Amino acid sequence: NMHTDDLEIKKLIYLYLINYAKTQPDLVILAVNTFVKDAEDTNPLIRALAIRTMGCLHVQEVLDHLSDPLRKCLKDPSPYVRKTAVMCVAKVYDLSPTTAEENGFVEDVRRALSDSNPMVISNAVTVLTEINEMAPGQNVWRLDAKSVPTLLAAVNECVEWGQIAILEALADYTPKTEKEAESICERLLPRLQHANGSVVLTTVRLLLNYEKYVHRADLLSQFTKKMVPPLITLLSSEPEIQYVALRNINIILQRHPKLLSKEIRVFFCKYNDPIYVKYEKLDVLVRICSERNTEPLLNELKEYAREVDVDFVRRAIQAIGRLAIRYESSADKAVKVLIELLQLKVNSVVQDVVVVLRDVFRRYPRNFADVVPTLCEHIDYVNEPDAKAALIWILGEYSEHISNISNLLGTCIESFLEEEDEGVQLALVNSAVKFFLKRPQQGQALVLKALQTATEKCANPDVRDRAYIYWRLLSADPNAARTVALVEMPPVELESANLSAPLLEELVAELGSVASVLQKPSRLFVYKKADKAGVPRDSEMAYTGLDDAEGGAVSAGDNGTTGGIDTSNEGEPELLISF
Amino acid sequence: MRQGTVLGLYCSALIGENLQTPIIQKHWCNDVSIQRASLIVVPAFAKYLRSVPSLHEAEPVWSAPQDTVCIHIQRGELVYLGIVSQEVPALEVLELLEGVVLALVEYIGHLSELTIKENFATVYQLLSEMVDSGSAVTTDTSVLRGLVPVPSLVDRVIENVSGIGIRTEKRPDVNTSSTPWRSQGIRHTNNEFFVDIVERIDATVGADGSVVSYDVSGDISCKSRLTGMPELLLVMNRADAMDDVAFHPCVRTSKWHAERVMGFVPPDGQFKLASFHIATDAAPRLLPLQLRAAVSRQSDQSHTIEISADAGQSGNKLVEKIQVRVPLPAQAYNIRVQCKAGTHAVSNVRLPQVEWSLKSLSPADRGARLTIQYQVRAPSAAGTGAPQLSPSPGSSQSALAAFVDFEVAGYSVSSIKVDSLKMLVESYKLFKGVRYVTKAGSFQLRF
Repeated sequence: NMHTDDLEIKKLIYLYLINYAKTQPDLVILAVNTFVKDAEDTNPLIRALAIRTMGCLHVQEVLDHLSDPLRKCLKDPSPYVRKTAVMCVAKVYDLSPTTAEENGFVEDVRRALSDSNPMVISNAVTVLTEINEMAPGQNVWRLDAKSVPTLLAAVNECVEWGQIAILEALADYTPKTEKEAESICERLLPRLQHANGSVVLTTVRLLLNYEKYVHRADLLSQFTKKMVPPLITLLSSEPEIQYVALRNINIILQRHPKLLSKEIRVFFCKYNDPIYVKYEKLDVLVRICSERNTEPLLNELKEYAREVDVDFVRRAIQAIGRLAIRYESSADKAVKVLIELLQLKVNSVVQDVVVVLRDVFRRYPRNFADVVPTLCEHIDYVNEPDAKAALIWILGEYSEHISNISNLLGTCIESFLEEEDEGVQLALVNSAVKFFLKRPQQGQALVLKALQTATEKCANPDVRDRAYIYWRLLSADPNAARTVALVEMPPVELESANLSAPLLEELVAELGSVASVLQKPSRLFVYKKADKAGVPRDSEMAYTGLDDAEGGAVSAGDNGTTGGIDTSNEGEPELLISF
Repeated sequence: MRQGTVLGLYCSALIGENLQTPIIQKHWCNDVSIQRASLIVVPAFAKYLRSVPSLHEAEPVWSAPQDTVCIHIQRGELVYLGIVSQEVPALEVLELLEGVVLALVEYIGHLSELTIKENFATVYQLLSEMVDSGSAVTTDTSVLRGLVPVPSLVDRVIENVSGIGIRTEKRPDVNTSSTPWRSQGIRHTNNEFFVDIVERIDATVGADGSVVSYDVSGDISCKSRLTGMPELLLVMNRADAMDDVAFHPCVRTSKWHAERVMGFVPPDGQFKLASFHIATDAAPRLLPLQLRAAVSRQSDQSHTIEISADAGQSGNKLVEKIQVRVPLPAQAYNIRVQCKAGTHAVSNVRLPQVEWSLKSLSPADRGARLTIQYQVRAPSAAGTGAPQLSPSPGSSQSALAAFVDFEVAGYSVSSIKVDSLKMLVESYKLFKGVRYVTKAGSFQLRF
């Protein structure tokens, strides 16, 4: 019995019916008469409620009874009813596209685009984009130049959610002329000053998308300048919003690298930021750092390296390395900071610092010979394979600067077989050979021991092969060995932490969306879309991984002088070149 | 190729402390996806939440199984989750969840599992007004109040808190005029309009008192009790110093751009007129409270932290409600605290922590000082072959930062002031009031 005049109770009954319809769709039809009657009620609230509920029931049989009231409600004098009715069309279309088309509902919604009420307009936009999505390829609706002015007028007046819908539609619109594009951008610039972060971000997306239509340089620079303050403001909101903002800023920066370089301090991490915010801030910091502000940033990164979270600390240390490699002028300071961190004597920090130092040393050969002895004082603390290999490489490279080098390398070779990591073993062989070539007298016993152990007792074929080749080279022609082992290395270049260009384009076009946060195109994770588009879901585009600085500093420009020795050991490219 | 919002967008908004049994859920999608959502995605999400070291480290946007994406926020003791199976603006979902929380707070006050259960009917009604078929409709409470009645018990509370006379007519009205935030025919016997300018300083201060990062943002909050449809004009003295201004929808942005004046028809009751941000280069870095810290180590196990607080630049106003919170490492024990002024407390809920409160500090006062001494338990001997190193990597042995809170009433750090407030259209006498306050936002002192 649904006859009640109390609105609240009526609402609750309707809510119950919506749930009921899911399990007992046949019985819901019994209630239809009340709905139809309510749709004629004098109270607009009740008319809207009835229409909305009928749509939500999602039952085929109700549809036949829905058509007449819906048609009436679409022309209702109350805008509240009209906007609810417009939403209902989407539900009808979902259930049966033909019914929606035949009854002219879709046409009605198109007409609603020129409604007098902005809320109705924005709902119409929402519904039409939804319908487009439901019927891909059919182009049920295309935003045309005629509707643009009404949308622009409505966007200033409707609620934030309506604004988002309209802005989204406009962002994907292709303006007919440059003039039109300019005026749309100018009309929408004030949207950047909205309290709702999503309105702001969608406006930014629109401006970025329109960059290809607008050619006047002064306008373009005005637009980008206006984007900065609202983006910064997003960073003082709740951490969740900050996170999404930062992910997007990371993408925007790849389009406009200089955009935020003055604002570097805004991105300094707070001690109590959630870890996911800290990671993103660190990424942005390294990205926007210019040569001028490396010094404050390095000091800041040093602070981060004292924090608790091991991963964060590692990333901070790697960031120091990246800065040093990018800007030569900052390398001295960076190395100083790294050595200071070494002296904290925290286990994980020591490992990470050593790996990063190796990369920095490779970038600027011979510059830092004086810090190597300090580094050697910490040799006992180095215990991770990566760090060990890095340290041994440094020992080989700077052997002439280390007074007790024979001892150090000697101890390492003693424990050669205990090392399980191939990288460490290879590094040992290489360093022993280098040491020998630089100081034949001191190194002879050492290199013999190293090669002997490696060839006779080592189980790893790569290590054995490498040792054999050295052995033969050394006994046949020490000079040839010299050219192989002590060759100048090609300088390390910074591996780009950027997304691939096509992916970046795609993500800029979808700025603010889930895709841009996950940094992979939507077709890879949105169920319906992938199926419809027929795209293989595990396509290779999946991850063009953003910056995992692990070894990131090295790896570029390698295969210079491998001297015919090829190891398939891609994880340690620095070994290849270090002969 | 991209759409706004689709049927079944926020498939379910599950509000639950324990996510396996959500307190409340609402779906806007067809049956199949509902089953997917509640049977697979939600447990998977709960599992994900449990897999991260602490709840706060869970990424807000998480790619869930079944080609869905979980977007959630955490407020108070509750987690609010939206599940999305379509491409949508991620911020829209976050802002919507935020809006839902704010609306619920306004309707039922403090949110907890209990209060939500007590007000199920209201919550459901609100959710169905706020979101229709997966698209956000409105989160504006002044609109919602017209559609969903406020639960009767709470009527009085809201009236007291926000100062709104709840209109007596029982039938909710539908307001879709061009000023949806204000309904026709509002009457008040005393016409008043109050402006509160609250500025927050977000800063990180180094141990030597140097400013590492500094940022000022502010809100202009208003309380309006005005009859009829008044139009107000608010003029600020340094409108240009406000770098990024976000307005309540009632403010006419075109007027702001042309004349730097805020013209608006105010909603009734309490509302946030605008929030702004001070351009960093436009403001000198004034700190009402000058803090310094010195950390020393007597031995590997015994640490001392000294913090000093002096009045800084606060326009000769009293710095009040000063609170310094120092989290100590988990292994700290034997904590001894001394302070020359104020009171202190040591708590040990999850981590040991020292709280120091000072009622006020004026420029005339001598600076206040706090000394904390504590010892750290000797690291367990299970080192990884390197004897002198801190054993468990990363477990930092010393405190790194303090969180600071303070308030300066009657002071605006950005020196932004209200020049004038005029009323057009209506012609009655109106009582105006302006207040300024500067607070610590996220204010940290590093050691």
